Amino acid sequence: MARLYQVPQHAFGWLVGGCALASLPHLISGPPWLVALVPSVLLWRVMIQRGRLHMPPRWLRAVLLCSVILATLYSHGTVLGPEAGVTLLVAAFSLKLVEMFTLRDAYVVIVLAYFVLATVFLAFRDALTTLYVIAVLLLITAALVGINQPESGVRPRQHLRVAGGQIAQAIPLMLVLFILVPRIPPLWSLPQDTRGARTGMSDSMSPGQVSRLSLSTELAFRVEFEGALPPPSQRYWRGLTLSWFDGRSWSQAMPSRIPSDFYLYRRRGDPPDWYRQWQALRDGPSYQYRVVMEPTYQQWVFALAAPFSSAPELAVARDFRMVSEGDIREVLAYQVASYPAIPGRVEVPAWEKEFNLRLPEAGNSRARQLARQWRREAGSDRAFVERLLRWFRDEPFYYTLEPPPLGNEPVDEFLFDSRRGFCEHYSSAFTFMLRAAGIPARVVVGYQGGEPSELGGHLLVYQYDAHAWSEAWLPGEGWVALDPTAAVAPERIEFGLREALARLGQNDSLPGFAALRDSALGRQLRYLSDYVTFTWQKWVLGYRQDQQSELLARWLGQLSPLKVAMVLAASGLVIFAVFALWLFFTGRRPPLSWWQQEFWQVRKMLAARQVSVPAGAGPREMARLGSQKCPAAGPALQAWARQYELVVYRMGEGDGPGDELRQRLVSLRRDLKQALRRRQA
Amino acid sequence: MKQRIARWYAEWLRRRIPPSREVTLDQRRIFIFPTAYGFFFLLVCVLLFLGGINYENNLIIGFSFLLTSLFVNAIMHTFRNLAGLTLAVGEMRPGFAGEQGALQLVIRSSRHAHRSLWLRWPEAALREATVEAFSEVRLWLDCPLPRRGRVRPGRLRIQTRYPLGLLRAWSLVDLDCWCLAWPRPMASQEAPAHGGEEEDTSDRHQRGSEDFEGLRGYVSGDSLRLVDWKSLARGRGLNTKLFTDPVEGRRWLDYDAMPGLDMESRLSRLCFWVLDADRRGAPYGLRLPGTELEPDVGPVQREQALNALALYGSADVQEVS
Repeated sequence: MARLYQVPQHAFGWLVGGCALASLPHLISGPPWLVALVPSVLLWRVMIQRGRLHMPPRWLRAVLLCSVILATLYSHGTVLGPEAGVTLLVAAFSLKLVEMFTLRDAYVVIVLAYFVLATVFLAFRDALTTLYVIAVLLLITAALVGINQPESGVRPRQHLRVAGGQIAQAIPLMLVLFILVPRIPPLWSLPQDTRGARTGMSDSMSPGQVSRLSLSTELAFRVEFEGALPPPSQRYWRGLTLSWFDGRSWSQAMPSRIPSDFYLYRRRGDPPDWYRQWQALRDGPSYQYRVVMEPTYQQWVFALAAPFSSAPELAVARDFRMVSEGDIREVLAYQVASYPAIPGRVEVPAWEKEFNLRLPEAGNSRARQLARQWRREAGSDRAFVERLLRWFRDEPFYYTLEPPPLGNEPVDEFLFDSRRGFCEHYSSAFTFMLRAAGIPARVVVGYQGGEPSELGGHLLVYQYDAHAWSEAWLPGEGWVALDPTAAVAPERIEFGLREALARLGQNDSLPGFAALRDSALGRQLRYLSDYVTFTWQKWVLGYRQDQQSELLARWLGQLSPLKVAMVLAASGLVIFAVFALWLFFTGRRPPLSWWQQEFWQVRKMLAARQVSVPAGAGPREMARLGSQKCPAAGPALQAWARQYELVVYRMGEGDGPGDELRQRLVSLRRDLKQALRRRQA
Repeated sequence: MKQRIARWYAEWLRRRIPPSREVTLDQRRIFIFPTAYGFFFLLVCVLLFLGGINYENNLIIGFSFLLTSLFVNAIMHTFRNLAGLTLAVGEMRPGFAGEQGALQLVIRSSRHAHRSLWLRWPEAALREATVEAFSEVRLWLDCPLPRRGRVRPGRLRIQTRYPLGLLRAWSLVDLDCWCLAWPRPMASQEAPAHGGEEEDTSDRHQRGSEDFEGLRGYVSGDSLRLVDWKSLARGRGLNTKLFTDPVEGRRWLDYDAMPGLDMESRLSRLCFWVLDADRRGAPYGLRLPGTELEPDVGPVQREQALNALALYGSADVQEVS
């Protein structure tokens, strides 16, 4: 076999370190065999470099590769898709380390290491991971520099310095590309990561669902308003509306004969009539804000009533909410303008009213009866609603996260027996009563409230802010949001769930909240880390098409592809030119040695006394000229010049002039300075 | 056709990078192109970009942009690794035709470091050098000598892939230099010599102690055989023994003593006998048509004789000394 390629000793550390650290994040979530494989192969590689072990023979490499493929199939059931693909990639990459026979293999390993490193971002996307990735990128690049300088005796640190310079200089161009290169929608659909579990809302509501979500202290989304925040009583973040009641749970539904654009506008083609009507009504007060959502692996997005957005991946629904075209797998940022007056002003067709009146044929008869009776007594829909809300407020209803389980007639049992419930119980029963009284109504699920961050001023909406309320169509008022929970526990709406439970003496029902009731410093830290994450999500992770075009339009005015291309080319050229000038035309002189510096100091001292010394004059010449001009300093000058020559001409001797000679030269220079000063005085 | 292109290319190169004793590499003389690894690297950048787009992952997109920027930045750095480098002709080490000589190259950095440079003459072995900032490196480069005389090594190829190996910058420098090729020594039965004939003159010298004239201080170039080692051992310094040669003992190697042979064969035989005489420490003179080298012995004599043989027949023989 031909001579084996030897990775230069000074690059080997960077190579192994870079490969190990690039694989490390994959090992955290990878199958156990991968966790065992990668370190052993790395160790093997180190032993090969030390000469203790040999490269594995061809048959062993083939066996290893086959076992890796089989193990991937065993762990993931496939070799396709991001998770299985990454597992296979990391395993094959580590095997390549013990198959480095030529310089070309070393290049392949390093380029693969870059690839493995990039795939870290499939699982982790926070700012800290990004710093980690940049650090590992530095190591891998140092290894790349190292294998390009195969001579021996190079200090490893030099590679790190060179690599650091390369990366630092690459960053400006990267930023320009990141900001300017147009973001295009996915070109084809790829097998998706199934790692993330669905979080947040589900598309139906049965008793106990929202209260379960309320136990989670995870963040749902952040909102940044342009201008003032809406008051807490207006922070109703609509996610989905539930119009179908099966006697126990509410779910999303639409009449089957309705075409989808009667219901959803996907921003393609002509807008449907209802959307045109919205646009015509867009004149009242509005809220402008930006929502940055955590991935939920669902399609619900959250906004205040009657939202308008330019985000292309969001569709608008006629029940005043938005919905994502696909599941949200990445941080999603979208800009919204909401017009709260629109729901009260739109025309509602008969089919929609009729649909929102449907109830099961039978069941919950006590509630039905009461509703019909009160409607008769009230005289108007509005009066009925007021009476119902008053009833919730005055009767002994309790707001609690731990309601008793309900049986087959949940509305009746809740309203007349247990009277203990959470928002979904109240909204469900309330909507039922409205429908029973002949008022079109539906349940709305989403989040209510949010905690303003002291840093950055945005609103933090947590999972425990999940909420359900009702919406009814009243003659002359249009669609009106009605919240029976607000009647029972006004604290919930005004101060949020945590505060409400604290006031109601139910702190202990939420285990996770103990950690949240924190000190002032803890709160500050939480806000700070939230602020960093928010900025990161808003500007890096959520930098999509709409934000890009908005930002570019602000800088460049009217946008056209040609203009963007020209700006891109121009900024690239400017960066290139600046670096080229800097690299090629910075005239760096070799640094002066200490004795040369001594010489120049004396020269400057003489120049200050108007002694003109011609360029290139030596110390003796300088002393002669100086003595002529200021004879008093003559002896000091002569002594200095002699000492200077002594120092300079002993430089090559043994270890050079040594410290005493240097100190003597310095002290002679000080004497000279004094002598020159005396002459001046 | 192929030849025409080759000739055209050589002519274009000559105009672009004319021969000179000292060359400073600038943008006119440096070429740059991605290596195969560079293309592989770019392919990975594109794959990452597509992946980032399809998974809507801005960090992967950003990573691919960072790699792309690294590549772009490497264009400048690889170029700069050659730019500003000064190459000058240094000393020359002659060799026999058919073997290798060597030419010394002085590589000087006037500003920044130039690392991992690969240098070679056509058809010669590769040498690697690193020149740190403000320093100078002297490098002996092998130079194949296919024939006798002055051999121009052709264009020096200097190339680098430092720092990232993604691009290759190179230059083809025509340094105005040559390497001297001595004739290939060729043995013959009889020495083409006269004076001190028949017998081996050197033997006589060794025996002829009566011809010993005295000692003088060693001068660089004296034959080591004539050094008075005994006096050195006694601590009297390095001295050379002087002999007077009888007139009939002066041995002349003569070009004209080999009738019927062509020039190169004659020179090769003379070369063999010069080396032979030198090995034995016997004084010899050399007579070539138009040139005469007085009999002497020692490294200086050997070199002068060999150089005279190497340059015989070329236009500027006078240059040799």
